[in-house]
Amino acid sequence: MKMDEPPALARLLAGERRAIAQAISAIENESAGAHDLANALAPHVGRAAVLGITGPPGGGKSTLVNALLGELVARGLRVGVVAVDPSSPLTGGAVLGDRARMGEHGGHDAVFIRSLSTRGHAGGLARCTDRIVDVLDAAGFDVVVVETVGAGQSEVAIAGVADTRIVVCPPGLGDGLQAIKAGILEIADVLVVTKGDLPGADATRRDLADMLRLRRDGREVPVLATTATRGEGIAPLADAALAHADEAGRGQRLRARAAADIYADRVLRLAARDAFVSTLGIRCVDAGAGHATAMLRVRAHHLNFNGSCHGGVIFALADTAFGLASNSHGRIASGIEAHISFHVGIRDGDLLTARAVEIARGNKVATYRVDVTRADATLVASFSGTVYVSARANEPDTAPPA
Amino acid sequence: MPAIPKVLVTKIGLDGHDRGSRVVAAHLRDAGMEVIYTPPWQAIDTVVKLAVEEDVDVIGISSLATDHRIVPKLMRALREADVAGVAVIVGGIVPDEDEAMLLAAGVARVFHPGSSLDDIAEYIRSVVPALREARSAAFRTSV
Amino acid sequence: MNKPLDSTTLAPAADREQWQRDYAEQIGDDRACENRSGIPIKPLYTRDDWDGARPEADLGYPGQPPFTRGIYATMHRGRAWSQRQLIGLGTPADYNARLLALIAQGTSAISLIPCNSVFRGYDMDEVDAELLGTCGVVLNTADHMDRCLAGVDIGGMSCAMNDPSPFTLLAFLLAVARRRGVPFAAIAGTSNQSDYLSHYVANHMFFRIALPGARRILSDHIDYCVRALPRWNPMSVVGQHMQQAGATPAQAMAFTLATALQNADDCVARGMDPDAFLPRFTFFFDVSLSFFEEVAKFRAGRRLWARLVRERYGAKDPRSLRFKFHAQTSGVDLTRQQPLNNVARVTVQAMAGIFGGLQSLHTDAYDEVLSCPTEFGARIAVATQNILREEAHLTDVIDPLGGSYYVEALTGQMEEEILKTLALVQDAGGMYGAVERGIVQRMIGESARRFQAKVERGEQTVVGVNAYRVDEGAAERPPVQTVDDAAMAAHRAAFAEWKTARSQAQVAGALDDLARAANDAHANVFEHVVAAAEAGCTHGEICGTLRRELGFGHVQAIV
Repeated sequence: MKMDEPPALARLLAGERRAIAQAISAIENESAGAHDLANALAPHVGRAAVLGITGPPGGGKSTLVNALLGELVARGLRVGVVAVDPSSPLTGGAVLGDRARMGEHGGHDAVFIRSLSTRGHAGGLARCTDRIVDVLDAAGFDVVVVETVGAGQSEVAIAGVADTRIVVCPPGLGDGLQAIKAGILEIADVLVVTKGDLPGADATRRDLADMLRLRRDGREVPVLATTATRGEGIAPLADAALAHADEAGRGQRLRARAAADIYADRVLRLAARDAFVSTLGIRCVDAGAGHATAMLRVRAHHLNFNGSCHGGVIFALADTAFGLASNSHGRIASGIEAHISFHVGIRDGDLLTARAVEIARGNKVATYRVDVTRADATLVASFSGTVYVSARANEPDTAPPA
Repeated sequence: MPAIPKVLVTKIGLDGHDRGSRVVAAHLRDAGMEVIYTPPWQAIDTVVKLAVEEDVDVIGISSLATDHRIVPKLMRALREADVAGVAVIVGGIVPDEDEAMLLAAGVARVFHPGSSLDDIAEYIRSVVPALREARSAAFRTSV
Repeated sequence: MNKPLDSTTLAPAADREQWQRDYAEQIGDDRACENRSGIPIKPLYTRDDWDGARPEADLGYPGQPPFTRGIYATMHRGRAWSQRQLIGLGTPADYNARLLALIAQGTSAISLIPCNSVFRGYDMDEVDAELLGTCGVVLNTADHMDRCLAGVDIGGMSCAMNDPSPFTLLAFLLAVARRRGVPFAAIAGTSNQSDYLSHYVANHMFFRIALPGARRILSDHIDYCVRALPRWNPMSVVGQHMQQAGATPAQAMAFTLATALQNADDCVARGMDPDAFLPRFTFFFDVSLSFFEEVAKFRAGRRLWARLVRERYGAKDPRSLRFKFHAQTSGVDLTRQQPLNNVARVTVQAMAGIFGGLQSLHTDAYDEVLSCPTEFGARIAVATQNILREEAHLTDVIDPLGGSYYVEALTGQMEEEILKTLALVQDAGGMYGAVERGIVQRMIGESARRFQAKVERGEQTVVGVNAYRVDEGAAERPPVQTVDDAAMAAHRAAFAEWKTARSQAQVAGALDDLARAANDAHANVFEHVVAAAEAGCTHGEICGTLRRELGFGHVQAIV
């Protein structure tokens, strides 16, 4: 299915449910055309207010999101919801949706709910969450709510995906307030204390308000109390969230992403200059600060005398990802040591993907690991390498970055 | 990327017993699938909408009591919404005479109590490729 | 041979080591056994497992602390357990016919089960017509209640209403009592299933109003009944749903005790006197096929309750210490395959409950697993109890299993297991807090999965399902109870007409009052439910109003 065919894209932009759902699946499954789709959406994003909702488990987030949905819908807004749940580390499977679909709004025409599994990605979000949010943004939803389970580092992860970050706490944290990860207070644009009818709620709200006043000058972070089961405090929450989106927020996440894209753009430019890469037919498909992904379709001229893919080709693919990842920071990085282990024989026609990630990076030396996989997700080779990092920029006419 | 089957496990009608559906949902997760699990009493229109939004392969209806009697309404609603490439299976208490009725209405399979969880997972895995093909094809031709 | 047998010719061996040797030699496959609660079960129990050295502490006498042998001095010998069969199907006329037939068969107490639509808080005109009356009676008004109980002496027979918050069925019953001139003081029975926490955790169908609201209405309900209905038990703490959802018997007892403590705490927080409300607390349990485990579960629970109540609330009235419970044979153990086998299962389950010292019993019909039981099936279920009581003479001896090494040892072990789980819940801040955080639900889910895995591996046999299977033709399947569609259509039409004919102003006024009471922390919501029922409001209108004001009872399913 080619997503850049005008009719399908047009239907997505017109808000047709099936087109939206299939586009999200394409991105989630990294289907052919998913990249083209993400690019085609670029001119259409930045209109929606993207609210990220996170907080410790048991804080009453789901009840709150459900009530907030009702409030936004009652205001005539169209709302998209992305609910992310962790996948099982053992089996890769996941149970999704039981929180987000707890309420009655899932059936409303103005609401679109999509549940995502993290699929092993660390940080509490799915790898493609930001691009899925873009789909809903482009499809014309006024508000997109991203909800995470709230364990681990998700408070920080949500900062990269949402314009307005809402952190939800249960009451009675008391001395435990000191134990709240510093990250929460750093990124929160709005703080909510739930279950306002319980005795500890007001005290928690005051404590949090005090802590924020101490921590940050200049930015007014509202600390609100809600009792979602009775609908109390929901309208003020919606007001605060939408107000933040209007003043400081809408599209903020895109600007943050653009900053990250500097790395990606640099890597792609470097890859384009590489003569050997184009000779072999290797493509760089993804990159960022300290990471890069390269792909290769094995052809007849890559085979050895036994009819399987030449080890040097696999090495070259892994080394390409390694080189691009290590050079993504803008200074010339030269490989000084590399090692590869081959696990599985590769045949003509196999599609290989090499993903390089940064393991450690100092001022002069950095280490990377590269996993090479086949289309069926089998790990076919493991590569590790070390680079020496020079002080010089790897792009002429540019100053070396810090 | 290998296809990860996506299964909606839900209950329509009035009954609220969900021990069976929870055990099935957990098993499918342990078999590496993604399960959208809803609370009971989903309205039929909501189930249709949900199936589209989540782009599921299979809708698994758990039915005790006599809630299976409104499954034909669900099949009708799916047809009216032009939803192709999604299989509906029913698990739970279904009297023999009603099983034929459900299959005639378009239900792909009925799993009675005592069905092995592995059989259910195997069945789902076996039908996913064709369902995905049908979903993309339907989408292409309707453009 | 006229000589009496000389006992010295065969001297008792009493050789334990010899037995152990013989056993090890002859046993063959010595597989480890454990019961559903995970307690390992030995092949033989002796004095070493329970030496009876402190009979007063462990055993005692019936009707006295520690209550292990029973809550009354006479138990079933003095008064047999109530035969309280659940009845519910079709229209009120259908219900009434079935009820009168079963009373003629020996049913001595009423248990009314309404349609799933009623459980969900709706009137018959708010749901799909195909779903009405299949599992319970479609009862939406006081008039319907009147028709259900036509020809029944409601002042003389105990009525249990399966009636979760906000307890409209009791409200309708009271309206009927007023009409018939029966004083409230004569109305005896139980608000069966009044336990909102077990509904939230394990039988979502009964959960209508958000947790905080459900909690408040329950306290209001207990308060009202303590004042106005001296023979009514407003608190039925339910272990059945959790066990049916997969909790082990020990877990189910622990969660039930924790819930009872939570509800009692809430009453105390309102300023109620423990001795005023504790005697009105009853319990409702599942009883499974794990025979001895169930007997031990009940004996342990009864012993624990008395201690907990004395320690925690300083209860002085002996009635506060009594662990009164109703048991229902577990439908989860029944099979769809070879359904007649269920008669044997129900018999074993019933016996376990009887030896456990229950006060009232419902035996499932063999076809209950397929649908609402047919009259034929219901009759056999009642006959089963009659046989156990009068042919097998199970009422002759109080606590006949008492003193058995196995049963006493197991009772002690179950007590330990129960206390462990109870401590876990109390550490989490009590049952309400533990349930809000999903701790209880997750434990139940794990137990359910573990049991299912045992069945799938063949470690737990289920006759007809994973062993001893038979190819059953369709002809061998029992007939399924169906709803009379014409009668139901007529019932719906009559209801629609009735609604237009009643005083809209009166109804609107009563619902407004109810809404106001819901928002007033000092008002007693149940009192206003009773008034609304009297004013001609329907079940759906009452539930709808309270859901609006106090929040819809959404359930977070935890897998």
